[in-house]
Amino acid sequence: MIRPDAPILLEIQGLHASVDEQPILNGVNLTIRAGEIHAVMGRNGSGKSTLSKVLAGHPAYTVTAGSVRYQDVNLLELEPEQRARIGLFLGFQYPVEIPGVSNLEFLRVATNARRQERGDDELDTFAFEDLVRERLNVVQMDPAFLERSVNQGFSGGEKKRNEILQMALLEPLVAILDETDSGLDIDALRIVASGVNQLAGPHTATLLITHYQRLLDLITPDFVHVMAAGRILRSGGKELALELERTGYDWVDAELARQPVEVP
Amino acid sequence: MAGSTAWLEGLAGAPVPSRRLEDWRFTDLTALAAIHPKLAMAPDPLAGVTLPAGVSRLSSEAVEALLGRALHANHSEQHWLVQLNQGIQPAVVGLGVSGAAQPLELICDAGEAEGLVPWRILLVLEEGASLELLQVQRSSGANATTVITEVLLGAGSELRLGSLGLGDRQACLLTHLAVEQAPGSTLALTSASAGWALSRFEPRVVQSHGAAHTQMRSLQWVDDQQCADTHSAIRFDGPGGTLDQLHKAVADGAARSVFNGAISVPRAAQQTEASQLSRSLLLSDRARIDTKPQLEIVADDVRCAHGATVSRLQQDELFYLQSRGIAAAQASRLLLRGFCDEVLRGLPAAAATWRPLERLLGADTQLSPDPEQPAAPLGKV
Amino acid sequence: MSSAATVGDLVSQPYKYGFVTDIETEKIAKGLSEDVVRLISAKKEEPAFLLDFRLRAYRQWLRMTEPDWATLGYPAIDYQDIIYYAAPKQQQKKASLDEVDPKLLETFEKLGIPLSEQKRLSNVAVDAVFDSVSIATTYKEKLAEHGVIFSSISEAVKEHAELVERYLGTVVPSGDNFFAALNSAVFSDGSFVFIPKGVECPMELSTYFRINSGDTGQFERTLIVAEEGASVSYLEGCTAPMFDTNQLHAAVVELVVLDDASIKYSTVQNWYAGDENGVGGIYNFVTKRGQCRGERSKISWTQVETGSAITWKYPSCVLQGADSVGEFYSVALTNHRQQADTGTKMIHVGPRTRSTIVSKGISAGHSVNSYRGLVQIGPKAVGARNYSQCDSMLIGDQAGANTYPYIRCQQPEASVEHEASTCRISADQLFYLQSRGIGFEEAVSMMVSGFCRDVFNQLPMEFAAEADKLLALKLEGSVG
Repeated sequence: MIRPDAPILLEIQGLHASVDEQPILNGVNLTIRAGEIHAVMGRNGSGKSTLSKVLAGHPAYTVTAGSVRYQDVNLLELEPEQRARIGLFLGFQYPVEIPGVSNLEFLRVATNARRQERGDDELDTFAFEDLVRERLNVVQMDPAFLERSVNQGFSGGEKKRNEILQMALLEPLVAILDETDSGLDIDALRIVASGVNQLAGPHTATLLITHYQRLLDLITPDFVHVMAAGRILRSGGKELALELERTGYDWVDAELARQPVEVP
Repeated sequence: MAGSTAWLEGLAGAPVPSRRLEDWRFTDLTALAAIHPKLAMAPDPLAGVTLPAGVSRLSSEAVEALLGRALHANHSEQHWLVQLNQGIQPAVVGLGVSGAAQPLELICDAGEAEGLVPWRILLVLEEGASLELLQVQRSSGANATTVITEVLLGAGSELRLGSLGLGDRQACLLTHLAVEQAPGSTLALTSASAGWALSRFEPRVVQSHGAAHTQMRSLQWVDDQQCADTHSAIRFDGPGGTLDQLHKAVADGAARSVFNGAISVPRAAQQTEASQLSRSLLLSDRARIDTKPQLEIVADDVRCAHGATVSRLQQDELFYLQSRGIAAAQASRLLLRGFCDEVLRGLPAAAATWRPLERLLGADTQLSPDPEQPAAPLGKV
Repeated sequence: MSSAATVGDLVSQPYKYGFVTDIETEKIAKGLSEDVVRLISAKKEEPAFLLDFRLRAYRQWLRMTEPDWATLGYPAIDYQDIIYYAAPKQQQKKASLDEVDPKLLETFEKLGIPLSEQKRLSNVAVDAVFDSVSIATTYKEKLAEHGVIFSSISEAVKEHAELVERYLGTVVPSGDNFFAALNSAVFSDGSFVFIPKGVECPMELSTYFRINSGDTGQFERTLIVAEEGASVSYLEGCTAPMFDTNQLHAAVVELVVLDDASIKYSTVQNWYAGDENGVGGIYNFVTKRGQCRGERSKISWTQVETGSAITWKYPSCVLQGADSVGEFYSVALTNHRQQADTGTKMIHVGPRTRSTIVSKGISAGHSVNSYRGLVQIGPKAVGARNYSQCDSMLIGDQAGANTYPYIRCQQPEASVEHEASTCRISADQLFYLQSRGIGFEEAVSMMVSGFCRDVFNQLPMEFAAEADKLLALKLEGSVG
């Protein structure tokens, strides 16, 4: 939903970032307003996943230039957990397994950390169980997964559902979903997409990072951005994704040659 | 029959290890005392051997420059087996390898000699060289064989090393192997021993800068009053090395099997991946098995796992075979064959002529009357 | 209060039991001799059999040398520079708690062990040992109604001499090892528990050991006997003040279990560990052993070892009775310059005996943490089974984790299985938890307690949460 007067939730300006001194992001600009769904597409290695990790504050990446404002705070100054508590959510492409840590306990601690930030009461074990069982419906997940260790032994699809379950519990303002569609069969993809659609609303925004059109058939983006060589090369509406589906990414090289990378 | 081991102390310049020492706690050296106290002439393992292309004798200068280096790198100098062999100063068989060499076999045959028979071998693989070598230690009399083998593996070189010890019930085998691996080198060591009154095998490997690959497969089989002891030690002195170690033992009669496997992963050895598995079969209630993995880690980004099992043959597997009409004794032999074969099949091809499996299990290992019966489905012990 | 805040509070406090109670203490002169052994025995008005036991041990000790096989490094201990007997000046143990020096009651209250009638824990009976002496035992009368004896060992020597004489030193003989011999010669106090035939002890029993004096060695002795069909769960806790010298603690624990009986023995060890440079801290050299004498008897050791500069401790089970069961669940955490060499021995003697070992070692800072265990299957242990699992977690690249699992097997109809692994807290796992709003320290603490869960599950309920917090506290500042 595009409303030009809606408040800006996330504003990325001239963002450069590197890992092991290797520049990956080379000047990303992106503005996201409440109610919008953005899709970032691009080939492998274009910097899409890096963008999501930098926004979430992964310690392996160093921001070398640029700024990211989230509502009225400087996002880059915050620890990863602080970013999560104020409503930024990253759905991981490859959620890690954490043996020994109970999924239910993890979800409860995370949910309470977010609730505390918003001034809500903490949920005790019983109240939380009620909440989590209700939210399980969003992703049609088997409650048995609550009793296991975080992501341990989950299939690819189960891991992704667990990610969306976390999103449903944390109620983020800005959700970044990194290749949430990868490794999912069509049924799982539908469930995940429907979860995302249920959670999207006029006051929140979603940033989908994806390779393929198929996710965008299920979640309609308001804006599509094509990333290459660490920046956004082109932006457009949902028709841009369809065009990519037809033409592929070959035009990107020609375009890149015309727009040399700026050095910060 | 019990003689004295004082003469060995004289040779080694150090007392025969006492069982109060942790490294010798379970190893009964009385069989050594029965050996006639004299030095015997060790036949030249290269006599009558045509060295394959790519393998040449090292010059005496090269031997002088390189001898002792692998021992030093493995902190082996103070080990009693090394002191004993060095005290005797046997002639050094020095071999250099460049390029991809054809397989080679080195036979140290103590035969029926009486006394102590010493060998010392130095093997140097140049950068990128590769070799398949089978070392055979044999005895058919009341003697003690001492062999030190030093191996220097240059960057990117590959050595497939088989060590086959086929003993005599009166004979002792004392072998120390010290390998220094440069980065990118690969060592695939397979050893098997059986038939000795006493055998002590000390394979030691250091990956001097990490980033090398070590695979070790060993099998020791003891029966009657025999004692076999393997003390392995692997150290990673740099990052990114791998180790895949499997040690197997079978103890029957009133025999004793000892395994001590040390793995050391110091701080410099980040990203090491090491695994060690020790599997022992105890076939008699008079035999005994002692195993002790020894893992020492001071690096956090490593993956090290080890495991050990001691048991008899799996009863459900035995039952399965019996339910197909195979007699219990033969079913056991078949399972044992599978157990041993997992190690033995790693030996260089030349080992086949020594028929190691038949020596371990007796002639009756084949399913008669059809000796071509495939062993594969029976091999999963 | 949020759990995140709890961890915050915890990590802001270093060792919180480091205070010293200012109380007048009666001490004997430093040093050890036959006269000192006689003096201790005389002070405690002991019967002749016990003096003989002590003297025998002392003479054996004189001929022994300190063990050096463990992966430990520490300066030589001067056994003549230690005080072997210290007791708060308060003659005679009081019949009523009202007569106990309020300073002592206050000390234990500060340690979270209220002893007074109004405040004490409702379902845990406590024996409180201060330096060398037991100062109070709660719920004695209530336990006595069930025939359960729970008292200091000094009292037991007087009131139940025949029981003590029958069992003392039968599991850990006076000359068992250097430290056990030392303990047998000079032990001061400790707890005695006797659960008669068929009785299930109606409450948790607990002994709380407090070292207060800076120059005193602590040598307590615990003896627990469960007769046929009896069962008991027992917990010991330990703390000490912060001194920059090292104190020696050499305890002996003996457990005897008869047919169908069981003892569950849990330890939360939090002796002072020394500072981050390794100055000060307790040297903890402890011999703990239980004997499953009866058929179908069971001993379960659970330990959470977080304190001490040096820990040398191998709670063991001798599985004599047919079908008897031994268990060992251990978490050992070392940080800074701590050294721990701990594990267990499972000695399978009888047929169909079973044992389980689960050991979790966490090494941080510059510490060294070794698991050393022995599983021995004797020739008569037909059908015996053991399963062992030893996992190490490394935090930082300066800490050491060693694993030495011995297996000795003489019985073909037995099976022994050992598995070990190492892991660390990976940056990706931490980031994942953080990206869900969980703070750094709490994320670490969640992962550490997840790693230890198999062991914490074995602790009595009241103490599992304590153990969790203790680990978080001990790991302060060691990750990242």
